[in-house]
Amino acid sequence: MYTSTGFISWLLRRISGVALVLYLFTHLWVIGAANSGTQVFNARLDAVQTPIFKLFEIALLAAVVYHALDGIRLLLIHYFDLTEYRKTLFWAVFIASAILTLAGGIAILAIMLNGG
Amino acid sequence: MLTFKIQRWSAIALLFFLTVHMIFMHYVPPFHITFDVVQARLSTPTWKIIDILFLFSVLVHAMAGSYQVITDFESAFNYRKALAWASIIIVILAFIYGAKTIWAFQL
Amino acid sequence: MSNNDIQRTVTVRIQRFNPDVDKKPHMQDYQVKMWPGMTILDALHEIKTHQDGSVTYRRSCRHGICGSCAMHINGRNTLACKTPIINEVQKNDTVTIGPLPYLPVIKDMVVDRTSFWEQYLRVKPWLLPPNDIPEKEFRMSQEEVDALHDAEACIMCGACYSSCAVIGLNKKYLGPHALLKAFLRVLDPRDTAPAERLEIVSQADGVARCHTIFNCIDACPKGLNPTQAIETLRKLAQKRQKYEEARRERQKHLNEPIPS
Ligand code: FES
Repeated sequence: MYTSTGFISWLLRRISGVALVLYLFTHLWVIGAANSGTQVFNARLDAVQTPIFKLFEIALLAAVVYHALDGIRLLLIHYFDLTEYRKTLFWAVFIASAILTLAGGIAILAIMLNGG
Repeated sequence: MLTFKIQRWSAIALLFFLTVHMIFMHYVPPFHITFDVVQARLSTPTWKIIDILFLFSVLVHAMAGSYQVITDFESAFNYRKALAWASIIIVILAFIYGAKTIWAFQL
Repeated sequence: MSNNDIQRTVTVRIQRFNPDVDKKPHMQDYQVKMWPGMTILDALHEIKTHQDGSVTYRRSCRHGICGSCAMHINGRNTLACKTPIINEVQKNDTVTIGPLPYLPVIKDMVVDRTSFWEQYLRVKPWLLPPNDIPEKEFRMSQEEVDALHDAEACIMCGACYSSCAVIGLNKKYLGPHALLKAFLRVLDPRDTAPAERLEIVSQADGVARCHTIFNCIDACPKGLNPTQAIETLRKLAQKRQKYEEARRERQKHLNEPIPS
């Protein structure tokens, strides 16, 4: 095993990616309830908007934010030849995703506590 | 290389669509999603187009990504043709299902 | 280095594996007294000649040009002969040495590099010169030389290849060493077949399989940048016919002096 910041970023990208694929298909199924009518849809959506799912949503947000920022990092490196700044960019992505997840997570919690 | 290009372009599309989706679905009131809420939003054609395009790019990105993750393993690499077709079929089926869902909000 | 350092003894922890008796690799410690300027390879020599003749490793030139002595030292791939041991001593006075990762171990630090060379040959690493070779010499402009980013300095030691996580999963991937060489040939104004080379590297086991992990850059003992080479190939692969035409145009002027 050859560990490095690049290896960690790749591992996180893979893990978050696979998690998001699984989430995507669950998500499709959940809103697919609309095909069976209004009641079924509202019932199923109520079930996934309980506080415990809101907490899962923060984990989901973390995965989305990291995966997206990591993608932006790769795009920047490809189009602007930034391989020399790989370490800086890695940490920038890491810190930015932490901040965004925290901000978004607090917003989710605030909305939840306000009974939104 | 084709997978790679598909991945890159769908990623760029997703950066836009996903940001819009996340903001409007989760950080703008009303926070509790019901049938009527979605129906009100999808009654405008712009939202319908955005959601259809979003659905397509997210499915393509997801399956192209899964294909790459799986074919990274040497044992799966030899079956990459079959895996590619399987991914394409999954994208088509899921797209039909998702598009049907978007249409269901018409009623 | 102070006098104390000269007297210092370090523990060299070596991963041992003898296929005749061992089932699994195990670690073995040796005590080595350092002398000024001692390299990791010197320490290994010290062990082999004075302590344990069965320690096995490859080496040839002892000054970083043959590429035989690439090893996994303290979790990094590098050349044993150009790494001063004093730089590698950890807090517990230990240096850990093992074979290159992700490759089959033959014995101790000797690994099987078959896949490394097989992938290398797939990109046709040799130059394919034009038919009408100029009388005196090929002329390259300074920009053309700069664009190669010293890729010709690669010594084929395998440090980048065996640091790559994709290689760890899939030995069918071309690998950073082969792609760096393909990059060198594609950008070489003397080469006649850039389109064919770009075709080879843009297959499913070529540039698209690089996941931009950057281990190859960190591992390269020559300070080269295989990732940059791969990114460049990715861009050029999108317009290979145009690129080849430009090359043919360029080769009409190989004889002429470079306009400055
Ligand atoms: S012995 Fe030749 S490179 Fe180290």
